[in-house]
Amino acid sequence: MQLSHTPEEEQFREEVRAWLCANVPRGKRPRTGMALREYDLEWQRRQYDGGWAGISWPREYGGRGLSLAQQVIWYEECAVARAPVGGSTFVALSHAGPTLIVRGTEEQKRFHLPKILKGESVWCQGFSEPNAGSDLASVKTQARVEGDHLVVNGSKIWTSYAAMADWQELLVRTDPEAQRHKGLTWVICDMHARGITVRKIPTMSGTGNLCQVFYDDVRLPLANVVGEVNGGWDVSMTTLGFERGTAFIAHQIHLAAMLEGLYGLAHELKGPDGRRVAIEDDAIADQLLRLRADVAALRAMIYLSVSRGARQPVPGPEGNIVALCYGELSKRVYAFAVELLANEGLELHDENPDWLTDYLDAFKNTIAGGTSEIRRNVIGERLLGLPRGGR
Amino acid sequence: MDFDLTEEQQMLRDGARRFFREHYRFEDRRALLASEAGFSRDHWAKYAELGWLALGQPEETGGWPGSFVETAILMEEFGRALALEPYVSTVVLCAHVLGRCAAARAAREVLQALAAGDARLALAHHEPGGRYDAERLNVVATRRGDAFQLRGCKSCVPDAPAANRLIVSARLEGEEDIVLLLVDAGVPGLRMNAYSLVDGTRAADLVFDGVRVPASSVLARGAAAGDILQAALDRATLARVAMALGAMETVLQMTAEYAKTRVQFGQAIGRFQALQHRLAEMFVEVQETRSILCCGLAHVEAAGAERSAMISAAKVVAANAARIVGEQAVQLHGSIAMTTEYAAGHYYEHLLAFERIYGDVDWHLDRFARRAVT
Repeated sequence: MQLSHTPEEEQFREEVRAWLCANVPRGKRPRTGMALREYDLEWQRRQYDGGWAGISWPREYGGRGLSLAQQVIWYEECAVARAPVGGSTFVALSHAGPTLIVRGTEEQKRFHLPKILKGESVWCQGFSEPNAGSDLASVKTQARVEGDHLVVNGSKIWTSYAAMADWQELLVRTDPEAQRHKGLTWVICDMHARGITVRKIPTMSGTGNLCQVFYDDVRLPLANVVGEVNGGWDVSMTTLGFERGTAFIAHQIHLAAMLEGLYGLAHELKGPDGRRVAIEDDAIADQLLRLRADVAALRAMIYLSVSRGARQPVPGPEGNIVALCYGELSKRVYAFAVELLANEGLELHDENPDWLTDYLDAFKNTIAGGTSEIRRNVIGERLLGLPRGGR
Repeated sequence: MDFDLTEEQQMLRDGARRFFREHYRFEDRRALLASEAGFSRDHWAKYAELGWLALGQPEETGGWPGSFVETAILMEEFGRALALEPYVSTVVLCAHVLGRCAAARAAREVLQALAAGDARLALAHHEPGGRYDAERLNVVATRRGDAFQLRGCKSCVPDAPAANRLIVSARLEGEEDIVLLLVDAGVPGLRMNAYSLVDGTRAADLVFDGVRVPASSVLARGAAAGDILQAALDRATLARVAMALGAMETVLQMTAEYAKTRVQFGQAIGRFQALQHRLAEMFVEVQETRSILCCGLAHVEAAGAERSAMISAAKVVAANAARIVGEQAVQLHGSIAMTTEYAAGHYYEHLLAFERIYGDVDWHLDRFARRAVT
């Protein structure tokens, strides 16, 4: 066991810290629309130009070819430096790109991966449908093969950033006769193709990047298929492996920084008695400290899973453990923040951090990419070996 | 970072697991629980032979130097077996104190005896009504020529009935300084009121009624004594976290196996999603405990306040997990877990004791509050 970072890793951290200090964007980040896209892509371009894009991606596609542990150090320093986390580049960097790295054709990789790292493209996900949420295998959006194209008809929903995206990881049914998991295909969809309509879906927090996408005879070249036609379930499990495994490391680390911010806030705001500051209230201090201990455990859990995951190309079902912990814990952290703010916590701000926005958006952490309930199913069946239950 | 065990560490774990599998079957352990001593002297001798009693000690006193990771590995196996021997008291707590006081001749001698299996020790520190803080001790040491006389009471001293020597904390009369003394368990004037704790291990309340100890039995005094005591208690806390982890993982497996085989309404109860999700929650709690244990291990050699804060965080997370895992293990088994004829209840009792020993959640939260986590 080597429970601390190596001197090389510490050296790497120093370099990261120095670069971030000089380069993290300081301007206000737009909450939505093309302004957000431009902001996120500009930040990505700057990372690429500085030689920091795709730290753990292969060198031949523009990455640095370093370890996942170094990627984690990068995220930690980003959190310290208050660099933007997630946003419109998230899907491309955290699961579409990684999926292409392990499953894409050489041509697909050469075309897409450098674009992603250089901040030239935004991706979105196209898995969920109005009638296929947790039950992903029941997707109905159809694609029929016509010559060397797929022709897509149907609809996808809960797609973040679809209105500003260039590409989509799209899961379609290519064989309507086949049973559920069989007959699906994972295809790269050009979001600028003819026949695509995007409807924005307003959300509670007002950040409004969720969309529904409609496909009306959308023609996609067969060369865009990742994996085999009718072999898409397997590829989508790779994507979900990343989404439930490593994709949220940055967010998970960011949560620790948010909690420390909250700790500061508890030293400023008045507590329930209206006289003392909040942190002097025993119940508040108790809750905050429990959250802190749990955040420390989450961080250790990330290290552990990164250390173990370093040997496998795609994260296994263990990724669900961290994802489940993070989702539930983030909701507790933001709920606590909103409580701490009392009635002032009811005002929706356009600021960062805005605790109420984060609180309302935190539901996605226990819903998107597999609900907490689906994650518990996976843990029960895949990690504890329980019999497959009724659905 | 690398969380994989080295080859030597794997051997230690596998060896311990094999030993316990062969010698700590459920009925063997129940017999030990019912015995007068409450543990096995034969096993203790075997631990000495295996080198476990010398773990983490300096080589010059017959020790087997290693990091605390080895101790944690061994403790996890103790937890799986719910081993009853007074290992944490003797080796993690007292041997650490003695190792830090190796300048004292008495300490060196006891360390050698300890490694050979000829000494068992207990740390007598907590006092009645003091909960976990004993900042102003009521046990007083009064100087009488070249000796000290001890008066006062210690309460709930784990493993005291098994010990032939005690390390006693006391306040020097007329001063605020604390002093750590090595005291023979059979010394005249010491009364021991022994009892069983909820997990079947033994503890005792001690009354020092003019106990005379030679000045040469002073191990440490003043701030140094306080630091040594704190470090030893932190290590014991973390050792118990590792033990609790082993216990939780075992009882979780036991519960999952039960859910796969117990049939009600014509199907294995493990097929019911309500139960599956609770088992999944238990699983996550166990993983959280393993994670925070690693975090504690990474800080065990850190400076005092940082080490204490992280080990307190580890205890908070682990104790919370222990409550959830222990209670759900009983609940998912149903009545069978309430009998002492079945192992699940024994694990629950172990976890209940773990929650309280060396500081409960409230105490550790309070200590954790004193330092920001980075």
